[in-house]
Order: sequence, then structure tokens, then C-alpha cells
Amino acid sequence: MQRSFPRHLDALTPLYEFAEEMMEAHDIAEGIRFPVHLAMEELFVNMVKYNPDISTDIEVDVSLQVNQEVRVSLVDDGGVEFDVTAARPIDIDAPLEDRIPGGLGIHLIQSLVDTLEYEYQDGRGEVIFTKGSGNEDV
Amino acid sequence: MFDIEHGIHGTVICRGRLDAAQCEKAEGFLAGLEGANTLDFAGLEYISSAGLGILLKTQKRLVADGGGLKIINVNNHIHDVFRYSGFHTIFDIRAK
Repeated sequence: MQRSFPRHLDALTPLYEFAEEMMEAHDIAEGIRFPVHLAMEELFVNMVKYNPDISTDIEVDVSLQVNQEVRVSLVDDGGVEFDVTAARPIDIDAPLEDRIPGGLGIHLIQSLVDTLEYEYQDGRGEVIFTKGSGNEDV
Repeated sequence: MFDIEHGIHGTVICRGRLDAAQCEKAEGFLAGLEGANTLDFAGLEYISSAGLGILLKTQKRLVADGGGLKIINVNNHIHDVFRYSGFHTIFDIRAK
């Protein structure tokens, strides 16, 4: 299932409903649905933040692969290059006084999904991730 | 949908989905807290990194003044997000 969403945080609820409807229809376990929603939101919000052209939509495709594996693709035209697969180490053991808000989104995506790919060419960025039934992390 | 309000016995009740679009509402409410507080997450289904950032900001402010946040009734999905984020070491977190 593919759909375009306006580049705005108000689109997060319709985005959630879109993916939830598809996963619910296919009896995807809650342990898969939660990380799919989380990774999708983090990626979508990044695309909202790092592309100033609000006239363009973000294309989202959610599909079911073999063995109940969920595949999600997000395509952003005109944004800056931002490789979500690159290592961005954060110290999750740091004491409270050394913590700063921010940076957790990419860390969570990389921790929760099974596969994560990024392509950027001629201003068009695409992120594809999968999450399968054998890996219910949360 | 996300709701946050004062409950009985001084707890703060959170319900729904705390995503990036709801952070302004959460931040506005939490900015009014002082001292030691308990957040009841029994009705909270979901949180993303934007919500984690608001919790962290609030915890830093409250702890600096001798208070802090205790978070109770955390579902297992959110509990794992806290664990992946290292929040279990800087918050008092109780699972459902």
C-alpha cells in the first residue's frame, strides 16, 4: 500500500493509521507493529525537519513480505542527504547531567529494525527498512 | 491522541500516543511540575524519541532542584524503548 503524506507533523496520526490498518489486516503481532510505527515516525520527522520545501509530499509504502515481515519505504524529494544507516554512537550509560535531548531517534531505528537501507541520488532520498516476525524486540 | 492531566494522589496521568506532534502539549504540562512527581503510564501506548526528549529535559530540571520523575505502569514496549535509550539508569521506572 502506498500513500503520500504532507510534510508536516500533523500527518503523523494519518501515517500511523495508514500503517496500522495494513498491519492489523494481516494480523501482524504487536511486537512488530510498535517498532515499525516508531521507526516510521522517526524517519518521517527527520524528513520533515531536513527538507524546507513544504510543497512536496513524502511517499510512504508499507508492504508485507514473506514470513510476515513488514517492509517500509519512505521517499523524500528535495531534502538534504542524511544517511540514517551511518553510525552515530551515543552514550546510553551517561549520567543524567551529561545527557542532552536529541540524537536518540536514529539510535532507536538502528536498534529496532532488522534491515535498514538508504539511497540518495539527485536530491531524492529513500529509506527502506524491514521488521520481521522472528525479531520482536519490543 | 494524547492526554496528560493531574490524577488522584498527586500522580500525573498520561494516555494515548506521545509522538512528535504531541510534544508541545506534554512539554507545556510538564514545565509546570516541581519537586518529586509520579507519571502514570498505564494508559500510554506509545512514545517516540521526541517524547523521550521531553522526559529527559524535565528530569534534568527537577533533579537539579532536588526532585525528579518516577514513571509507573510502563508497558513492555515502552519499557524496552527506555532500556534501548538507557533511561532505566536515570529514571525510577516501574513496569506494568
